[in-house]
Amino acid sequence: MSMSQKTAWIQLGIFGALVIAWLVLFIINGTIFYWQDNTFKMTFYWLCAAAFTALVAMNIVTGIMQNRRKEMADERDRAIFRRASLWATGVSYSAVAALLLVLAITYMNGGSETIPVYFPLFIVIIGGVVLLLTQAITALILYGRKVSHG
Amino acid sequence: MARARINNRIRRLRFDHGEMTQEELASRVGCTRQTIIALEQGKYVPSIELAFKMARAFGVTLEDVFQYEE
Repeated sequence: MSMSQKTAWIQLGIFGALVIAWLVLFIINGTIFYWQDNTFKMTFYWLCAAAFTALVAMNIVTGIMQNRRKEMADERDRAIFRRASLWATGVSYSAVAALLLVLAITYMNGGSETIPVYFPLFIVIIGGVVLLLTQAITALILYGRKVSHG
Repeated sequence: MARARINNRIRRLRFDHGEMTQEELASRVGCTRQTIIALEQGKYVPSIELAFKMARAFGVTLEDVFQYEE
């Protein structure tokens, strides 16, 4: 298994841990939705922020390691990474656009002109998590499929 | 329109060259063993540079390693 594959699996692992933690919180808090309970809401935000930081940090570390040790990644790894990044960028842009659209429609229909300051930040974090997650999943799919250089 | 196919004889050539290991070939051409496995399984079409390195590692021409079929 190449370094890029390992990175992708670890990324999925972090996301899986986030989902499990979120489910545990949901079970502990019962059927309270995050916007109804301040503690739960903040815990969820912290979980998202922690997962995002872990994913970004891991990408930076593996990027540096792959640049320093050329034998860790070759042209096939780079070709797969390029393709996975293209897909991930498209999916995350779409996710952010869809969330902004939902937010705008919700607030316009509600007659409110102000949006809580943490909403755009939350959308950016979701966009980042979607980007890294899509990149990991696409990379793992491409490692099992036929890929050509360039 | 039929899709073009690029086949290779890497596995055959490795055995013809004293059962060269995938690891050895990978280190000679500067790629990972996973890429050699993908090439042999027909799951990767390499760059022209890697293709030439491959041919040079076996001491044959490019077309002895890779065949283009339409």
